[in-house]
Amino acid sequence: MSDLVIAHLYPYEMNIYGDTGNVIALRRRLEWRGLEARVDPVPVGADYDLSGADIVFGGGGQDRSQLEVADDLQRRRDAVHEAVAAGTVFLTICGTYQLFGRRFLTQEGREIPGIGVFAMDTIGGRRRMIGNVVVVTPWGDLVGFENHSGRTLLDPGQAPLGRVKKGYGNNETRRDEGAVTANCFGTYLHGSLLPKNPGFADELLGRALRRRHGAAADLPPLDDTLEHRAARVAARRP
Amino acid sequence: MLRLAAACALGRLAGRVSRLLGRGGSALPGLVAEKVDPRLIERLVAPVRRGVVVVTGTNGKTTTTKMLVAMLEAEGLEVVTNPTGSNLARGIAARLIEVASWRGRVDADLAVFEVDEAAVRPLAPRLRPQVLVVTNMARDQLDRFGELATTASHAAAAVRRAAVAVLNADDPLVAGMAAAAGATRFFGSAEPVRQAMPPDSSLYGAASAAAPAIPLDLCLERSDADGEGQVITLVRASGERATARLQVPGPYNGYNAAAAALAAAEFGVPLARAAAALEATRPAFGRGQVIEYRGRRVRLLLVKNPAGLNQVIRLLAALPPGAEILVAINDLDADGRDVSWLWDARVEDLAGGGHRFGTGGIRAYDIALRLKYAGLEAWAETDFGAALERFVGGIPEGETGYLVPTYTAMLRFLELLRPGTSKREAWA
Repeated sequence: MSDLVIAHLYPYEMNIYGDTGNVIALRRRLEWRGLEARVDPVPVGADYDLSGADIVFGGGGQDRSQLEVADDLQRRRDAVHEAVAAGTVFLTICGTYQLFGRRFLTQEGREIPGIGVFAMDTIGGRRRMIGNVVVVTPWGDLVGFENHSGRTLLDPGQAPLGRVKKGYGNNETRRDEGAVTANCFGTYLHGSLLPKNPGFADELLGRALRRRHGAAADLPPLDDTLEHRAARVAARRP
Repeated sequence: MLRLAAACALGRLAGRVSRLLGRGGSALPGLVAEKVDPRLIERLVAPVRRGVVVVTGTNGKTTTTKMLVAMLEAEGLEVVTNPTGSNLARGIAARLIEVASWRGRVDADLAVFEVDEAAVRPLAPRLRPQVLVVTNMARDQLDRFGELATTASHAAAAVRRAAVAVLNADDPLVAGMAAAAGATRFFGSAEPVRQAMPPDSSLYGAASAAAPAIPLDLCLERSDADGEGQVITLVRASGERATARLQVPGPYNGYNAAAAALAAAEFGVPLARAAAALEATRPAFGRGQVIEYRGRRVRLLLVKNPAGLNQVIRLLAALPPGAEILVAINDLDADGRDVSWLWDARVEDLAGGGHRFGTGGIRAYDIALRLKYAGLEAWAETDFGAALERFVGGIPEGETGYLVPTYTAMLRFLELLRPGTSKREAWA
């Protein structure tokens, strides 16, 4: 019997930016505390009941894969909205994050519909935003690497994940990064994100454990010296 | 003609000045000469008697090129080739200038060039290759090239310019380029060899269904580790077969050998003689090359992307317990600024091997962290000198240690291992 179930959306289609490291980090950080996670891969076309998952993860991929994924995600639209309303923890990155907004307008003027969990639109641009990023959030400074040409514009009422201290974030001008709705998080940060940001990884795990097992599920601290060293170096790199 | 001769002369001069200034200089002469004569490359390769071979792909270009050149030279052919790493237009131009007469004439039977997979599209129409070899297509440095699909489409466009395409049947992206090619030759491997190759996806194994069987012109029937080398058996469609012991380890070098032997066959090299040339081929710069250092042997295994790292992981996993391994990751432009790819490699496959790990490079802590999350302990040392000391100190005298660096980290270590040599060999 697993303590948590992690659903990995589109692991084969959206898998080229190292985002799989987030799933590795979640699973290991549970194991080091004597807890166990089951990871369910959910590829395009899979029949999968999201209501059984405690954490749902989706990463970045190539443009071509994103189109395929966009269609599949439409099928799951209601199930995702229900899970978000029920407090399921979501972490969506780059390509999947963009599809959790209302729409993606490509550079060629094509509209890829999203599922509207986040009140935001993404517009394809010519210039790629590439480099190491530092984002100030309520869960500490997050360090990652961004690589996207889409500029994401949040509605005024949509909460961002944080403010960029270094790098671009959602777009070139507004200095906000990512989006948060209930327990659903979206961000552009690769890196992988969670291994170098263990506090944020534990925040996600804590939320999922509290929801599943009640308030008693506190996470004992781990030795994160190496994690913090890696993050400090990354934060200084261009 | 005068313009070509002037371009060559100025290029050579630029090279001499650059070397005098201690800048190495395999690319600058090409840069200068191409300014003087933008059609320099076309003009210089035109008189090459049996034409040009281009080797491109994500991994294995350098080793395949070196193997192919060895096979052709063993037949007594005069071959021009580019030095390691200089695989853009300017590096090729520089090499051609270097071998050209003062009037700008290249006297050679064949030119064999390794070409960067992102530069091959504009270069192919200029080189008009007789044979174009595509080794494989994997994700490489996304911050530099953008998307894999885009890179593959560039290579496919280049394939269209070649008289004969030599393609990897086991790589679906490469095999798909056959549609663009005139004549096509396929190399690939037998089922047991394919099964021993790791899938690129790390967490849940390979997802894609088996590729449809393509009839092979040359099959890698066997590729087994043998001490510090690799024993391979190649079989032609005609049934002709040959076995060779490569001086480089790693199952993937069997593929490189197959690609080279199939390309060589286009120039009439019999398989048995290709195999003999393979046995004599020394490892290319950083690709399995061994350096003697303070009574120890340091084997260099350059890594550039997750597919390449997976290949090296397969090799390392087979080492006996106690083997000393230093993984050094830099994040400069030539390495790729994004180190996320470390998380896409099958590092977990190293767990339980009983090897001793150290990490170095600018991003030592990142690779140490990757190892930690794979259940492996490693020391981390960002200073290159200190990392080398600690690594070498862990290798028993007379034994071999394994240094797994990204490109610029390798150059830094080479400066320490063999002062003065890396710049000359690797300036790109």
